[in-house]
Amino acid sequence: MIEVKNLSKRYGENVALNNISFSVGEHTVVGFLGPNGAGKSTTMNIITGYISASSGSVTVGGHSILDEPNEAKKLIGYMPEIPPLYPDMTVGEYLNFVYELKKVTLPREKHLKEICTLVRIGSVYGRLIANLSKGYRQRVGLAQALVGNPPALILDEPTVGLDPKQIIEVRNLIKSLGKDHTVLLSSHILPEVQAVADRIIIINRGRLAADGTPYELEHGQAGEQKVVVRLEGAPKQVQQALEGIHGVTHVRNFGEKEPGVWEYEVDGRGGAELRRPLFGIAAKRGWPILGMTGSELSLEDVFLRLTGSTYLSDNAQVQLSAKGGDRA
Amino acid sequence: MKAICVKELKSYYLSPIGYVFTGVLLFFFGISYMQVLMTLSSSFIPTIYSSLFTWCMMILLPILTMRSFSEEMRNKTDQGLLTAPVGVGAIVFGKFLAAFLVFAIALGASLIPAVVISFFSSPDWPRIFGTVVGSLLYGAAMIAVGIFISSLTQSQMVAAISTFGVSLLLLLVGNLAGSVNNDFLSKLLTWISFDSRYQTFTKGVFSVSGTVFFLSVAAVFLFLTARKLESKRWS
Repeated sequence: MIEVKNLSKRYGENVALNNISFSVGEHTVVGFLGPNGAGKSTTMNIITGYISASSGSVTVGGHSILDEPNEAKKLIGYMPEIPPLYPDMTVGEYLNFVYELKKVTLPREKHLKEICTLVRIGSVYGRLIANLSKGYRQRVGLAQALVGNPPALILDEPTVGLDPKQIIEVRNLIKSLGKDHTVLLSSHILPEVQAVADRIIIINRGRLAADGTPYELEHGQAGEQKVVVRLEGAPKQVQQALEGIHGVTHVRNFGEKEPGVWEYEVDGRGGAELRRPLFGIAAKRGWPILGMTGSELSLEDVFLRLTGSTYLSDNAQVQLSAKGGDRA
Repeated sequence: MKAICVKELKSYYLSPIGYVFTGVLLFFFGISYMQVLMTLSSSFIPTIYSSLFTWCMMILLPILTMRSFSEEMRNKTDQGLLTAPVGVGAIVFGKFLAAFLVFAIALGASLIPAVVISFFSSPDWPRIFGTVVGSLLYGAAMIAVGIFISSLTQSQMVAAISTFGVSLLLLLVGNLAGSVNNDFLSKLLTWISFDSRYQTFTKGVFSVSGTVFFLSVAAVFLFLTARKLESKRWS
């Protein structure tokens, strides 16, 4: 449905997007994830034909956004980061305006009523947009994207400004829309994307950092597998033995947790299975295993690793050190 | 285009701008008509009309066009327009048409006193109509210039003041022509002067060259506005 090839965008010296390529098939929800300023909105603005790319191409439903803009735009419902609302209009007037602007041929009243029911703005239909709360404005922004029932929906941070209940509602709505629409939604909030997306594209500093299903991302990066194990035995010898296991890259001693029992974190690489050889060694040496948990990388870890130092440097690092502190 | 034009018209008359524009224009025309009544001669109507028009237009037209694209860009609503399956030309022309209609309605209303006076006197209708046609053409060209200027800035104030400046320049450039020694420069200044072209209409003469000139200026500036909006797509 959406095909992005070698997309780059430069603003003078500054490179906002660097050779990004991906494609989004029909009837799927794709989460576009990245820290603030990663290039998410720029990509979406290029896909929807608002700005041009410095190089590369975008086709929507087989129509190039540059050569056949109107055909391509007909297939897209776009909700920008700041919904394009006119405060001096009522919700009804605005949706009617969008209906006419998009030259929609569906039965007007029925279609607009369906949309209002779907995004729950029926109660504010006759109210001025200027008097609406941010949450309602956001929903009206979503409603205008749905006018004309376009097959592809591009939603730039659709849940910003909503309260937790509304966020859940919008997530459920996006999930249900994904059954018969192609949805590309951006966010810098990981749980949001994780909750709705069939596939995640992670973008960082204008580059594509990862692309896959949440499962693939967790397990792809989890070539780096982790096992936390509690063993009873002399820590020096245990550590040495653990480091000798094939595929182990690093062993950390978390200290004595019970009398004579130490906890270790064993890191492995290349998808190596660590638990079985670990059990074998412990059995051979007569070190009772008093606990063992496999810990794969969470999507959050994957995101933090991929988005690197920029993100780690602020809030995330605090979280990580807090986790480490708990263990120690 | 129709959707944009209707939306703009509603917006002009839902906000005070449409009423302020029409009200102020009619107020000044009202004062002039009072003068006509006091002199007891309807022959002054075209003169007052034309002399008042240029000054009123210069000050009032920038108010009409200042928000055209500046406001859209400031509120980021241009994103909605430019990502809709509508050509940029249709967006620009829709906005132009709406501003022109507001202007034409106000100008039309300013003729009401002349119609009333015609029951008691016989005004020089050919001159009055010539002046109105000239005013509509002059206005169309200035609206296109104003819309173009508003597409260059997000600030309505900057758009209004710049349009006012350009409007004043185009009005005064004809006066400069008389004081320039260089023949070519003098001809050029007269050629680009809006006022000298407009004056032909105020004599009750339908000037084809004047019509072509004003319509061409409008077309060129609407084209430039469309290119300015599209520049995001090729810059």
